[in-house]
Amino acid sequence: MGIVYIPPNPPIPPSQQPTVSVYASVIEPKIANTLVRRLNQIAPLENLRHVKRVRKQCLDGGKMQLTVILCLACENGSLSGSMPKDIVELINSYQLSAFVTKVCKYAALSKEEWEEQCKLWPTSYHPPTYNIEGITGFSEEESQLIFSFMKLAIRLATSTNDQVVNAAVIVDPSSKQIIASACDQIHSWNTTVSKTSLEPGQLEQSAVFTSCLTPVVGAMLNGSAGRSKQLTDVSCLHPWHWPQPQLLASSSFFHPLRHAAMVAIESSAAGDRLLFPSNQDIRNQCSHEDDMQSVYSNSPAKRQKTVPLEVVDSEPVDNCSIIVGPEQVRPYLCTGYDIYLVWEPCAMCAMALVHQRIRRIFYALPNPNAGALGSVHRLQGEKSLNHHYAVFRILLPEEELMFGRREGNVYWYNCCENDK
Amino acid sequence: MASASQVEEDLATAVAFMQLAIQQAKIAMDSLEVPVGCVIVEDGKVIASGRNRTTETRNATRHAEMEAIDVLLEQWQRTGISVAQVAEKFSNCILYVTCEPCIMCAAALSILGIKKVYYGCANDKFGGCGSILSLHSGSSEHQFSDEGSQRKGFTCTGGILASEAISLLRSFYEQGNPNAPKPHRQPVHQPGN
Repeated sequence: MGIVYIPPNPPIPPSQQPTVSVYASVIEPKIANTLVRRLNQIAPLENLRHVKRVRKQCLDGGKMQLTVILCLACENGSLSGSMPKDIVELINSYQLSAFVTKVCKYAALSKEEWEEQCKLWPTSYHPPTYNIEGITGFSEEESQLIFSFMKLAIRLATSTNDQVVNAAVIVDPSSKQIIASACDQIHSWNTTVSKTSLEPGQLEQSAVFTSCLTPVVGAMLNGSAGRSKQLTDVSCLHPWHWPQPQLLASSSFFHPLRHAAMVAIESSAAGDRLLFPSNQDIRNQCSHEDDMQSVYSNSPAKRQKTVPLEVVDSEPVDNCSIIVGPEQVRPYLCTGYDIYLVWEPCAMCAMALVHQRIRRIFYALPNPNAGALGSVHRLQGEKSLNHHYAVFRILLPEEELMFGRREGNVYWYNCCENDK
Repeated sequence: MASASQVEEDLATAVAFMQLAIQQAKIAMDSLEVPVGCVIVEDGKVIASGRNRTTETRNATRHAEMEAIDVLLEQWQRTGISVAQVAEKFSNCILYVTCEPCIMCAAALSILGIKKVYYGCANDKFGGCGSILSLHSGSSEHQFSDEGSQRKGFTCTGGILASEAISLLRSFYEQGNPNAPKPHRQPVHQPGN
């Protein structure tokens, strides 16, 4: 098992990073300060802030040699013509001999890239100061918690009647509480019950759940339905498939846009409205509060006993936060929350999660047909968006993915195979 | 080729329907929602309308388009028509929306297979019909052999009553978005579409 961070930019092999040409010249160390100050005025390296202006090299015999970047060169690299007049004057007055060399165009995103860049010309590297936890790695306890939520999502994905669908679980990682969970509801959206909150005990169940193979899944896979459907019911994998004739005599209600993530967002919003009635509703708050006490208080003491995960976090756990109270801070949409999805979401769902301010997305299987977190699009790398989540793929062994070896699910099997 | 007079007539029709979308946006504005509105037209008749409801629902996906789509799906299914008929109906629908559909809505419109979209102002932060992504263009290198899995495109025309749409958004943000989180939380400055 593993957790792989899916960065905003597609990975580039360190040795194939784009470069730009610059004019450089060896200089006398004693003129370095004056020269660099002057160069920063007349030819600042605006878009190459990661590139060091001066390269220091230790020559044989211990002598130090300094080389300075004069200015950008045009790509055909001819020495004449394109150089600014001020630079030419500088070259003449200090008797420099300019040559063309290459530097990396973009700042390094990883230590590996940086090491490779420095072979060409030294650059600076600032390890990301991300405020999203996990990008620089997860502790063993965090990983276990993440795996347990993903297993819960997988269990949901296979528990709807006899279909395999996508499933979504929204979690508040600070309290380890499930905010909402949902499956695709393309064909049965009024018949499937979506829970705004699972009972705390259910998480523990999932954490100790070792095999995700439920009897329902087993029956389905052995039957013909599983064999012929080939995961076309997974809405994010096949978003355009909904008008196709259905093999199942499903309910008469359908909704082509009720993908698991959309339903989970709706469900979490409904929970938010219930927990934090707006000002107009405030008169009714007292009576609501009674109802909510019964819904949400599987009393804190009991909760702690049955959910050992609660104590994993080193932060002090505020028991009061579980009980609804007027002093509790109303969340802004899903700020700070994580979502677990069995499959990489499509563009609609991925953008919905931007709108709803999800903090981290964990998915188990890529979506080569319509995935928007790296496969077809890469929304986490779209700079213009006003919110950016961190994306992780969870690598689970085939057993955990339930039916890697079953012949009925060629696609799923191939997915697992390709990843090795 | 359409004649010049035909083009003019089409534009006049588009402007007329866009006026109705603007009215929806104004209703959103009056409800302290980001002012974006839309109407969906089938055979020259408005069959659904919608406006932003993200604040009221605390669901940031409740854009005007999603609201109007839900109205249609519910309305059609009450009459008992089949999945195939619903798909057929969407392929004859034209959407008029005051702001370029965002990536989410553009993807949704492609999934439904809508025929055509007219929008007012471009959405240079989230636009899914050319500004950031081009989800309206059906062609793609990622095509499955399965016919049912192919992405669908739709034609898209922007700039219809764009200045009206922009001035609504501008006055909304100038008066200060009363629904934006408090400054110590994450700031939001965007049209809701």
